[in-house]
Amino acid sequence: MELFELLNFYVIPGIVLGSIYALGAVGITLIFAILRYAHLAHGDLATLGAFIALAVVTGLGVSPLVALPVAILATAAVAVGIDKVFYEHLRERPKIVTVMASLGIALMVRSVIQVVWGVDTETYSRGIVRPEDYFGLRIRDREIYTVVALIVLVGGLQLFLTRSKWGKAMRAMSDNPNLALLSGIDNKKVVMLTWVIAGGLCAASGFFLGLNTELKSMMGWYMLLPMFAAAILGGVGRVEGAVLGGLIVGIAEELSVLVIPSEYKAAMAFVILLFMLLVRPTGLLKGKVL
Amino acid sequence: MSALLSMENLTGGYGDADILQDVSMHVAPDEIVAIVGPNGAGKSTAMKSVFGMLTIRGGRMLFDGDDITKWTPNRIVQRGICYVPQVDNIFREMSIHENLEMGGFLKKGDLSASYDRVYTLFPDLKERRKTLAGSLSGGQRQMVAMGRALMLDPKLLLLDEPTAGLSPKYMEQIFQICRDVRDTGVAILLVEQHAKQALAFADRGYVLAAGKNRHEGTGAELLADREVAEMFLGG
Ligand SMILES: Nc1ncnc2c1ncn2[C@@H]1O[C@H](COP(=O)(O)OP(=O)(O)O)[C@@H](O)[C@H]1O
Ligand SMILES: [Mg+2]
Repeated sequence: MELFELLNFYVIPGIVLGSIYALGAVGITLIFAILRYAHLAHGDLATLGAFIALAVVTGLGVSPLVALPVAILATAAVAVGIDKVFYEHLRERPKIVTVMASLGIALMVRSVIQVVWGVDTETYSRGIVRPEDYFGLRIRDREIYTVVALIVLVGGLQLFLTRSKWGKAMRAMSDNPNLALLSGIDNKKVVMLTWVIAGGLCAASGFFLGLNTELKSMMGWYMLLPMFAAAILGGVGRVEGAVLGGLIVGIAEELSVLVIPSEYKAAMAFVILLFMLLVRPTGLLKGKVL
Repeated sequence: MSALLSMENLTGGYGDADILQDVSMHVAPDEIVAIVGPNGAGKSTAMKSVFGMLTIRGGRMLFDGDDITKWTPNRIVQRGICYVPQVDNIFREMSIHENLEMGGFLKKGDLSASYDRVYTLFPDLKERRKTLAGSLSGGQRQMVAMGRALMLDPKLLLLDEPTAGLSPKYMEQIFQICRDVRDTGVAILLVEQHAKQALAFADRGYVLAAGKNRHEGTGAELLADREVAEMFLGG
């Protein structure tokens, strides 16, 4: 197989899929770092974001990229709301209670989506998009948007975390929650901020999955395992790690088709997750030990 | 007697057991007070009780005219008590400067005067302000921890074993910094394992054993006390 075939049919789709996973994995890793539990409703929240964007596209007749910011804001609000109504009351209980509750939320969110939008497959726009040729590399516009969105959103998040007062407060809470409290940092606000960011990134993840493939009510649920694999692979609590992990899982999934039947593609994330937990549970960039 | 902090007949603990039993202490403004006693005596617990980090079943805590027994840590910090715990007292994955910034989190407006004050007390830290706190030596970590706690200009500073694991040179340096801090008008309550040195340096001291007050007095009085010397200072 020649190089361009490998790049065009496996690596580029892998980077795109990886960027989509990375957007979700960053939120998962932040929730792990600050709230210290696995959030199992993450995938379905991504689905919700994708469908909210669809509602904007079909309702207002705007382009999908215009709908994205609306979906990000709306999903962030939903994430904060879910935390206030459900998770907040479980804060003092063992974390496993919240993990199970988040599974319930996942089912609930999915049911709402199925009731509102049905169970059929949808798309943002009809017709086939032909890739452009860039010196032999065949890339679609939407693939470029996906990678650019990852860079912009995660770059912005990194700036926020390293430059702003509240971003630093988030890092402090992740680093040493007790000392953060003793420094007078308001943990309720930090938690809310975490949900705004995680919810917004979730929506972006679902949106770009919908843009590059199609929208289905189960789309987010199927992304949950690869997103967790990405977060753990990169090191729990490490934003750069989650991006790296997402890209590795995405590319590995696409490349796996070369050696195993494509029905087993989804198992790649599981294999990576298992391997990482056995060999180096702190992840590539040395995150928190689970 | 006009105490800044007074702990009055405090009884309480972490679960059902009472670690502290009827403990009373006070700290006057501008005073350095040391708590000494054997391991497990409840010294750290007495400090945590100021911040309501245990279940209090009896007694009360007064600070500068307010009954703070049931206050949240956030409110207590704002009122003017800052606390350096015995362990995990820095943000490891943040720079020295960011540690200080988090210490000053509640302060509105410009922090530059507070940074100046801390960096004047700890010139070593200023040179390395971008260094991750987790990569520093024990003595420097302790300085970061104290610096963080000083950012809000507290009236009272609580230090839990600030010299644990440090060389005598660093210990002397930390004690000197405590005096400098006190001279800027901050009262200090500290727990010390190095009982002799601590009592020699503090204005007053309390000997705590098995969760109870055992002795109290000026540093010199306690050092001269035969029973204290035999039981707690190793003869
Ligand atoms: N977080 C905690 N939960 C339960 N028991 C504790 C906790 N911290 C300390 N203790 C117990 O309280 C007692 C006093 O501990 P501590 O105040 O840390 O002693 P000291 O600081 O004087 O060495 C010990 O018996 C210790 O086991
Ligand atoms: Mg102690």
